[in-house]
Amino acid sequence: MRVARQSVVLAALLAPVTIFLGIFFLVPLLIIAVFSVLTPGLYGGVEWSFYHWNYGRIFGWADGFWEIYEPVYLRILGRSLSYAALTVALCLVLCYPVAFWVSRLHERLRLFFLFLVALPFFSSLIVRLYAWLLILKPSGVLNEALLALGLIREPLEILYTPAAVVLGMVYVMVPFMFLPLYAAIDNLDRALVEASMDLGANRTQTFLKVILPQTLPGIIGGSVIVFIPSVGNFIVPDVLGGAKGIMVGNLVEQQFLSARNWPFGSALSMLLMAVVLVVLLVSVGRARRIGV
Amino acid sequence: MGNRLGQIGLATASLAFFAFIYAPLFIIIIYSFNSNPVNMMIWDHFTLEWYGGLLGLTERGPEIGDQNRALYVESTDQLIRALRTSLTVAAFTTTISTVIGTATAIAVGRYNFRMKGFYGGFLLLPMMMPDIVLGIGLLIFFVTLGMKLSVLTIIIGHCTFLTSYVFIIVQARMAGIDPALEEASADLGAGEWVTLRKVLLPQLAPGIMGGALLAFVISMDDLVITYFISGTESTTLPVFIFGMIRRGVKPEINAIATLMILASVIIAGLGLWLRSRRTD
Repeated sequence: MRVARQSVVLAALLAPVTIFLGIFFLVPLLIIAVFSVLTPGLYGGVEWSFYHWNYGRIFGWADGFWEIYEPVYLRILGRSLSYAALTVALCLVLCYPVAFWVSRLHERLRLFFLFLVALPFFSSLIVRLYAWLLILKPSGVLNEALLALGLIREPLEILYTPAAVVLGMVYVMVPFMFLPLYAAIDNLDRALVEASMDLGANRTQTFLKVILPQTLPGIIGGSVIVFIPSVGNFIVPDVLGGAKGIMVGNLVEQQFLSARNWPFGSALSMLLMAVVLVVLLVSVGRARRIGV
Repeated sequence: MGNRLGQIGLATASLAFFAFIYAPLFIIIIYSFNSNPVNMMIWDHFTLEWYGGLLGLTERGPEIGDQNRALYVESTDQLIRALRTSLTVAAFTTTISTVIGTATAIAVGRYNFRMKGFYGGFLLLPMMMPDIVLGIGLLIFFVTLGMKLSVLTIIIGHCTFLTSYVFIIVQARMAGIDPALEEASADLGAGEWVTLRKVLLPQLAPGIMGGALLAFVISMDDLVITYFISGTESTTLPVFIFGMIRRGVKPEINAIATLMILASVIIAGLGLWLRSRRTD
């Protein structure tokens, strides 16, 4: 009787999420997979016949008549991966020392600075990006300041360059790197660090052999959380990047909203999903190996 | 000695880091009070004109010109409509995802069943999926079904990933709760539902509140997914601002952005205050 009652409650608790995510999450993903091997219709939409050239356009097989292989797509994918990797590296370098510093402050100050890091979570992403548009414009804050100081004669062309895209991504992603890092550094066993120094290891050795391995879970976690939204980002390159800085996300957006080639856009999305899956599997594997 | 220098260096680097995070926001705030409509970067004099225009309080000065006035007035109406859409979406989304997410967290945290591990992992997927993939997936889905893009499609879209966020937060709270109280309740003859409602839910309340707050904030801010599944008549605030920026930067955006920063500070402060009350 008791067991029967429990399973009724359990079913009632699980039914909403199963139905909701089944319909509105799994089915859309399935549709992307199916669309990626369908024929693009002449005027948008699809024709229901098998068509593998959507992938051929990207990877190098094409009939050369209806579809043409363009190495540019792989180049854009490579660029997205490298921008995302650069964003991760820069966030890491920026956040690590600061997280260390914050973790050693007194209780009240520490909470204050943690609040300051978390605050951007609550403020609008588009507003924060817009700020950089104002700063990097040829007549923006940065150029006006440098001109006034006499450091440059001509305004610098930073906006609409890859540098602007990476800078923008670092800026919006920094809190996502900081918090996991901080959690790992805060858990650091101070006694081990002191023991290492007492036993004659220098600072570099202590850092590499004691501190780094202990904070590795935070580094991996933060890196994954920053990498995934960065690699598929299309807002930052749209606002701050020029034609030369477009990423896979922009390509997908174009296929859906202007080129109206949904099957090709779906194939590109599948590629993006594959990248994310690989990153997740590798990082989970890593985390397992270091025993988290 | 070296240690001391290192400390000073670390502190300086850290303060520079916080300057990097906050300077851009302060620049927006300062320039939202600049009266120069042509080049916002050159300071003219202090004005509340942009705020006045935004709230429909003041007529715009003659320096803008009739042609531009039409542009501004039009965008004010749209702005208010976008804000209303955002609030409507966030209210519904928060409610629905909080209910579904909490129910799932209770099921996974309190019961033993064969698919337990599956649900725990599956619920992480919508968070890990790149926004753009989820956005276009939903777009194709709705269009294929023949559903008109509207407030409803945005609400559905937001719930798919916000349920996961609520689930994570409530589950974390769940882990810290001693099941002994529920066992006692069951031993004393309370049924399954009664125990859930009267014993478990009150203890979960802070986690549920936290999850709901997070869902609300993310829903208000979501741009990518909303961008794909909002129709022309159901634009949310972030999508509206994104469009405005794409069409060209206007001084009004500074005032809107400043108000949004202010709102986020208030919400974050509220969250902090709720947390501090919880631990007291």
